[in-house]
Amino acid sequence: MAAALHRFDPPWIKVGKLYRRIFFLRSEGETDHARELEETELAEATAQARRHAGSEFEAESILQQLIADEKERVADAVAFAEILVPMLADRLGGLAARPAAPAVVAPRRPKVSPPVEPRGIADFIDDMLTQERRAST
Amino acid sequence: MTTTTLERQPAANSASSSSAQPAAAAPARPAAKAATLLLGLDLGTNKSCVLAGPAGTNDITVSKVVPSVVGYVKDGIVDGIITNNARILYGEEALTQMLHVDLVAPLAEGVISHPDSARDFMQHIRLLADPSGKADIRAVVGVPANAGEQARENIRRSAQGIFSRILLIPEPFLAALGFRDDSRVKQPGYVDPVVNSLFIDIGGGTSDLCLVQGYFPTRDDQISIAFAGDAIDELLFDELNRTYPNNGLSRITVREIKERNAYVGPSRKPMDIKVVIGGKSRSLELGDAIGNACNALIDKIYPALTTLISAASSDSVVTLLQNIIITGGGSQIKGIDTVLQKRLADDGYENPKVRLAGQDFQRYVAIGALKAARAARENQWQVLLG
Repeated sequence: MAAALHRFDPPWIKVGKLYRRIFFLRSEGETDHARELEETELAEATAQARRHAGSEFEAESILQQLIADEKERVADAVAFAEILVPMLADRLGGLAARPAAPAVVAPRRPKVSPPVEPRGIADFIDDMLTQERRAST
Repeated sequence: MTTTTLERQPAANSASSSSAQPAAAAPARPAAKAATLLLGLDLGTNKSCVLAGPAGTNDITVSKVVPSVVGYVKDGIVDGIITNNARILYGEEALTQMLHVDLVAPLAEGVISHPDSARDFMQHIRLLADPSGKADIRAVVGVPANAGEQARENIRRSAQGIFSRILLIPEPFLAALGFRDDSRVKQPGYVDPVVNSLFIDIGGGTSDLCLVQGYFPTRDDQISIAFAGDAIDELLFDELNRTYPNNGLSRITVREIKERNAYVGPSRKPMDIKVVIGGKSRSLELGDAIGNACNALIDKIYPALTTLISAASSDSVVTLLQNIIITGGGSQIKGIDTVLQKRLADDGYENPKVRLAGQDFQRYVAIGALKAARAARENQWQVLLG
């Protein structure tokens, strides 16, 4: 319960926002930029947020929940945009910058957005850890 | 209760950072900071493979296949019989001195069965990778596809105080990573095994099958069967004792006979195998015994193989059928690729192609593990509490 409440404290909100940016950058294929952000701003923000946590366990719980939430949020947003942008462009009269996506997108087995670039090994490991967390809850 | 926690570390310690340098060359770091050594470990029931290299490089400084066995020297052995009067021997040395040691296999059916011996064995692996004993070691360790939390926890406990960080990844996925030729991934015509393939990793304790289709395999994409090399040995051992009672052949000798002569498919009689029984050379007809034991493996694997094929989407299954790859020690069974392929074709599967991973069959899991270690992000490692 404490972990659920503390995740809305400002230091953790900052960590969440940074993860959101990092996941978005990765989805755009900007892995170098994402890594740079991860190793600088995120490392600092996470260290600061940890100091506000009641215990290491609580900090870890918040962190893992934030990662899972933000990853899913970005994946959903990207998938939504891929459907919505061509649809809006079509209705607003030829503003589409790219060909329309199919109106109905068949769900992929893993719930991840289609990668812009071939997925890296670290992305596979992320998937594995997410599966493990789901299995343990 | 778990022994591990996840932790984020400062960027300067990032193993995956492209700017990472060997610790000794990094002036900003404290002088006492140990160099980080990355390790890929295939902890097998009969044989283990370890590959190691410094973080921040693509160098491989250690590549060894070691029998997964620990020998505890028996009491009363005369001084000088065992080199340096060691109390514990490992791998080939333990097997060579089997008369003077109590042999313990730390693993059974792919998971740790003797935790203390597993810990001793991991200590040996660490020394192989880092003779100085000073490096900070992060290890990616392969686990059977269906390894439960207890099996994983046993690995972590055995590695505590030996490795600083660890990541456990299913073996067939690591085999696919290891088999992938990274230099050819972007070449036209290269079929990337990580994009669409079905791996069959036949080890000593388990046979693991895994669909690899561009995302991390879910539990539904993996099947692990507790029937592999050891089970074949056991069938052959029983059959030998039935056909040739009191033959005196040890399990190790029976395994060696299997490794030299294993085959599947129609009977290859006559197959006369020379053995020494009671000090006398004898020739045993083992064609049927070996064939029957090995064909039992096909009967176990085939239903799992077709189950995974049926789980693949209709869009991917045709290509998938072209990319079924067998690795592990079981890939050395003569005819295993052609027999599985023919069986699939006879059952109406569209133009199936089953092939063998090749001569590095013992190393692909460890190669994949080292690749994963090099790519892992800081927050993905599990810190082992000392």
